[in-house]
Amino acid sequence: MRPSFFHHLHPPTIPAAQARWRYTLGAGGTAIFLMVVLTITGALEMFYYIPTPAEAGLSIQTITYLVPFGGLIRNLHFWAAQLLIIVSAVHLVRVVFTGAYIPPRRFNYLLGLVLFVFSILLNFTGYILRWDTGIQWALLVGTNLIKTIPFVGNYLYQILIGGTQPGSATLIRFYAWHIFGLAIITVILIGWHAFRVRRDGGIALPPPKLRANPERITRFELVRRETLAMLLTGAALIIFSIFAPAPIAAPIPLSTLQSVPESAAAPWFFLWVQQMLKWGDPFLWGILIPLIILLILALIPYIFPKPLESELGRWFPVSGRVAQITVVIIAALIILLTILGSAPTS
Amino acid sequence: MRKLLVIAAGALLLTISLAWWFSGRQPKPVELIPTLTNQPEYCISCHADVPEISKSHPVKTFGCVSCHGGERLALNADLAHSTMRGGKNPSDLSVVEASCGGSNCHSGSEAGNNDHIQRVITSIQSTYAGAIANVRFTFGAQTDMTAHFGITAITNAQTQSDITSLAAFDPASESNPSIQKFGANCLNCHINATPREGDVYARQTGCAACHATGKHTLTTAMPYTQCNSCHNRGNYDLRTMTFVERADHPTSRLQDYYQPIAQFTKCEYTLDCVDCHTRTEAMGDGNIHSNKKDIQYIQCKTCHGTPTELPLTKTLTDPNDIAFKLAFLNPVVDLRLGDTILVTEKGEPLWNTSVQPDGTYTMIGKATQQHFTFKPVMGSSCTQNGQDQSSAYCHECHSVQR
Amino acid sequence: MPEISRRDFLKLTRDGFLYLSGALALGGLLRFLSYQTEPTPQTEFDLGQAVDFPLNSRTLLADIPAVLLHTESGFSALSLVCTHLGCTVEQKTDGFTCPCHGSRFTSDGKVTHGPAAKPLRALRVEVTDQDTLKLFTA
Repeated sequence: MRPSFFHHLHPPTIPAAQARWRYTLGAGGTAIFLMVVLTITGALEMFYYIPTPAEAGLSIQTITYLVPFGGLIRNLHFWAAQLLIIVSAVHLVRVVFTGAYIPPRRFNYLLGLVLFVFSILLNFTGYILRWDTGIQWALLVGTNLIKTIPFVGNYLYQILIGGTQPGSATLIRFYAWHIFGLAIITVILIGWHAFRVRRDGGIALPPPKLRANPERITRFELVRRETLAMLLTGAALIIFSIFAPAPIAAPIPLSTLQSVPESAAAPWFFLWVQQMLKWGDPFLWGILIPLIILLILALIPYIFPKPLESELGRWFPVSGRVAQITVVIIAALIILLTILGSAPTS
Repeated sequence: MRKLLVIAAGALLLTISLAWWFSGRQPKPVELIPTLTNQPEYCISCHADVPEISKSHPVKTFGCVSCHGGERLALNADLAHSTMRGGKNPSDLSVVEASCGGSNCHSGSEAGNNDHIQRVITSIQSTYAGAIANVRFTFGAQTDMTAHFGITAITNAQTQSDITSLAAFDPASESNPSIQKFGANCLNCHINATPREGDVYARQTGCAACHATGKHTLTTAMPYTQCNSCHNRGNYDLRTMTFVERADHPTSRLQDYYQPIAQFTKCEYTLDCVDCHTRTEAMGDGNIHSNKKDIQYIQCKTCHGTPTELPLTKTLTDPNDIAFKLAFLNPVVDLRLGDTILVTEKGEPLWNTSVQPDGTYTMIGKATQQHFTFKPVMGSSCTQNGQDQSSAYCHECHSVQR
Repeated sequence: MPEISRRDFLKLTRDGFLYLSGALALGGLLRFLSYQTEPTPQTEFDLGQAVDFPLNSRTLLADIPAVLLHTESGFSALSLVCTHLGCTVEQKTDGFTCPCHGSRFTSDGKVTHGPAAKPLRALRVEVTDQDTLKLFTA
């Protein structure tokens, strides 16, 4: 058959070893697919969502209960977003555990980290757009954390929040951030990230002379595998979205922003930060420590012993042991903190 | 791989079909746009069987949300009910202002006759100030009989009764154990209290305590049984600070109306409480009072007069007279301009009465719609001393044998 | 029964599933997009007491927009929505003129000058039991 546009986005052939499910887990590709789902469902929600304090919660109720398939679209958007964080984390961990961050892939590794941060910010800004009593504390705490940054904190707060306290200006700004400041930039960065994968020689593998298996698969076979992954992920997302509703609460009353919110729990991907914030200075535990963790991850290709090219293409190469252990520790800590943070406070 | 693709495509088709199927199974949203708010509500998607609450509050005009609160667009029960006021009863006094208030509704002006909420909140049935003051005085916690405490703290800047505020009664901060026991055992019978256990005590709180006589029903024609969920249920023993329920098992209205120890006349059990007791007696006059005797003023002579005086009457010449509004709300009588009715000493109209040209009086029971005809005391063989209006005095001759 | 290879059959089935999924998804998308959030505009208007509109009167009702006529044959109304593209026509001494593209109508609504092709719509007026007027734009 004649290759289509999608076939041409892929190299004519790639080593079969690179395309094994067990090697990549398909995590990076699934993350891109989830971003596509998010863009489409997000665009559909834009037909009904109204970004004002008076109407936001009500417009979400309209989508959820009154618009045909509105609830499904909203649930798809929500679950794809949560799954994206998990799949991106899996992808990050896979890249570290297979040593796939050494030059020439070092820059793309950093790009990926940026994308990861963007997907978390997208999740948070989207959370705020609900503007109901379930997100109220997160809105307050999240925005107040910015003020704790020395020197530039208050100025940054004004730019992000649009005023001296969260209000209608914040909502419309978070809407603008969510769609244009973040989502469109993310799509562009994904394009760059995918391009770099090809330019850096595809998914990480030892140099051709050191490869054990010379077998290759065609772009057609590759596209078939990707299609399979997308169909299965899509079907799973739809089933989930039919039965598990996205969270919703009563809209934040206009009369006072000080009304009693429903829940003091942070969104699940920030529970680890919420736990740390119980320990003391907010700038240290809420901003600095998370940034340091990000910095450690970013510095992995620079400061830790480099995995050998000959050991690429498999999990846990011995030469990358220090980085692997570091990431295991970081992941374990974050998971532990998340579990601690989710325990009900008595 | 090719087989897997077919299976995966089939799985996708299955899930999308499932999405369509589930969409068809959702309860159909039923929209109501009340003319008062013009905002669509979907409560009747699930609650279509709730009856109209009263002729004065048609659902097509008010909808559900303007009284109950709630999320008008939500079709999920938890979310829809999450912002409802007062649970199933939006007239609970803690939320009544938001539900029933507003200057066009029930928290308007005295002149407009729609200051109901202000009157009820300061009334003795809400504040329970009389019982509290008397008990505190009896056990030495205060040296006067003036009310200083109520069930909740209230203030009334425009009061005409010398009492501008009541503090919240807190049994825990009282030192006398009898007063503490009073707080524990005897606070079941004010309008916002949870009633005692038992079917005979069953009632709601707030406005609904008196006006809600059935499932989602509001009326101004309350039968005596409504009042008897608190009144005539027994007695308080001051020494032990306990409530002693009445022990009889009434089988007729005559036996049921009052406790076995009570003395009463025929009209006092044939009529309903609302036929005699007026708006200000039951709901207050907007001022904070220390005792129910400061607000209760209906006497036998109000309708019957004395041997030397006829009862007060009024001929209705003003079409805006409140008597017409009250008669409209409970149309048991066709009141017309020019009709003469009995009025109380404070000028409150007894709109369900009528003065006939031949000097006799008629009355229609507000809840029973029974017709009664009666004559004034003047000109009869009554040997009453007109000054003595204590109930025992008229009951001397006129009390009914059970 | 024509011969079909296993590969082609699988491809046919796969494509069939995908096209069906696409059709269902498209149908769902169309239903999603067709929901109306705004209530339909008013088509019934209370005009008040009939006696306020005496015989031979022509009353301009700007917010409908329409003109109410009371003749010997009773009450009637003319819609002032231009039949060309919907602007509100303006009342002149001898009829109506549309400010948008110059259409002209007589006081009975008949077209004297284009681009409008159809006369102004006649609207139904009813007198209720309480002697009030109801105007119907539907």
